[in-house]
Amino acid sequence: MASCAVNFMKLFNFKSYQLVTSNLTRVNINFIQVRDYAARRGTREKRLKLLRAKKNSKKPEEKTKGKKLKGITVQPVYPRIQEELKPSCIDDVVVTKYYRWKLYDFAEAIQCHRETHHPTVYNQPDSYVQAHIELDMTAAKKNRFVDNFSRLATVAHPFPMGDPRSVIVFCKTSELQNEAKEAGANLVGDSSLIREIEKGNVFIKDFDHVLAHPNVLPEMVSIRGLMRKTFPNARAGTLGVDLTSMIKRFRDGIRYSAQKDEHWQDFGLIKVNIGKLDMEIEHLQENLQNVLRDIHSVRPKRKGPFITKVLICSAPSVEKFKLNLAALLPELASDLEEASDSDEDEEDEGDMRKRKMKAISA
Amino acid sequence: MTGYCASRLVTGVLGWNGHCLRAPSTVPLILQIRNTFILQRRTPPGLTKKNKRPKLRSRHYVYDLVEDTNLRKQENLNVILTSYVQGLGVKGDRVSVKPKLAYEKLLLPGLAVYATRENVKMYEESVDKEEKTPAFSSASVERTVGILSRQILAVVMNLETEWTLQPWHLRISFRKAGFIVPEYAIELPEEPIKGPNLDLEGKEFKITVTINKSETVPVRCRIHHWSTNPGDRLPYVQDHWQQTAEPLFPDNQKSFQSDQ
Repeated sequence: MASCAVNFMKLFNFKSYQLVTSNLTRVNINFIQVRDYAARRGTREKRLKLLRAKKNSKKPEEKTKGKKLKGITVQPVYPRIQEELKPSCIDDVVVTKYYRWKLYDFAEAIQCHRETHHPTVYNQPDSYVQAHIELDMTAAKKNRFVDNFSRLATVAHPFPMGDPRSVIVFCKTSELQNEAKEAGANLVGDSSLIREIEKGNVFIKDFDHVLAHPNVLPEMVSIRGLMRKTFPNARAGTLGVDLTSMIKRFRDGIRYSAQKDEHWQDFGLIKVNIGKLDMEIEHLQENLQNVLRDIHSVRPKRKGPFITKVLICSAPSVEKFKLNLAALLPELASDLEEASDSDEDEEDEGDMRKRKMKAISA
Repeated sequence: MTGYCASRLVTGVLGWNGHCLRAPSTVPLILQIRNTFILQRRTPPGLTKKNKRPKLRSRHYVYDLVEDTNLRKQENLNVILTSYVQGLGVKGDRVSVKPKLAYEKLLLPGLAVYATRENVKMYEESVDKEEKTPAFSSASVERTVGILSRQILAVVMNLETEWTLQPWHLRISFRKAGFIVPEYAIELPEEPIKGPNLDLEGKEFKITVTINKSETVPVRCRIHHWSTNPGDRLPYVQDHWQQTAEPLFPDNQKSFQSDQ
């Protein structure tokens, strides 16, 4: 039997090891298969490939934030300029780079831009007034950030924006349809228009916005598939009773988008045109205030400001004038305090709940 | 608790006859680092009889780190200036600065002394009012004067519209360049500068800026014509301030050159 076992082992080239314990019992462990001939075809190539791959793939480069210029990694600069930490100057002639930035009132900033756009200098008195709004994109939870968002802010004093928006309105009664036409809708209709769309004579995608009155809604369900996201709903503001205000909002509203910095996710920037330099200063201010209120409405529920800085720019000038936010929107300051207070209350409630749960489980 | 830092220093070692015993090679240069770590025993030692030391076992030699004094915030040093120092103050002023700056720039060159009780009496209180009158109206004026004297201001004016140079044109040019200069502080040349005139393009003239209504600085300015229509714009001159320019008023050429 033993010889049989040995022959078996030799035939298949198994080698076994015997563990001799103190009781002098023999225990076979681990049949290790040993081959004396070369590896089968393909295995050597595979092995070479692996070796090459290991050599080529160096340590996964830590995603360095910087770009490589001639072999040197250039670290990206933190976009938030913390000039509030600098001292303030007493002299009347000031070298601004050493000191805190001057806080301008809105009217003052517009006047400064009008000076540079004067006929004797740049001669562009009707250029756009742009607001650069810096945001703190940190969310309520630590190390979490608010996503990029794009919104439409209603504007009290519309101005030509260079991108005319087309609006299609669905409503039933002729009164409403006249109202919509007067408000500036491109195309107004009811069930007949819906049929045209179903046939394919009218493309709904030709229009930027789709608005509807609730009385047409049951009939619009048939073309719901054609417009997935753009189907009128109350949440987006595309479904409502007051058609004039809706049309004005979507035609003349200021569209803006908040973009996070690709390297520094807590920094968000919005560049938005709020009017033309030759508009009245009060109108421009109201437009800016509306945009800021709209931004403030989507702030994350945490302590600290969402809007950190507002700068007023106007091409082709390179100047940026920092605005005094407290003077511009005094209600924001109080809102921030309320938000922080409510957060504290929520925290207390959360703790209470936790304590209750512990008590119950204990 | 002190530590040692070993750094490498390239030196050679010479023998008594001047020949090189050891070839210039790296010799370890050991420098002492002075620091203090505040530790706390984990297990307090037991009570003892009077005038007797506690019996310390190995468990008593286990410590927790309370504070590394190197990580404390640097406190400012109070020093009293013995002479005028740009950006800080005049003789007799007590100034609070970071320790490194105080040691290297003030105490070592003898421009200041430590603000001890005796020094306060000697240097701060006994300084005459006459000596205290500063050379400049404020601490930052000397720096502003230096910067403005080196500045070549680009004054952008329109290529199509007629204009006469006004103080507000210079005020806005200063603002674009990063200076806040009020109109009352700007003094234009006597002859009015009118345009658009391409003969004036890139030519230099001087204005006088008055800081805090006391110090005056001559500032060099150059006119650049700018067209609203991008097609009519003049070719951009890279780093125009590094090139010499002709004076706008050739009559004043002598004084111009001497000032430069």
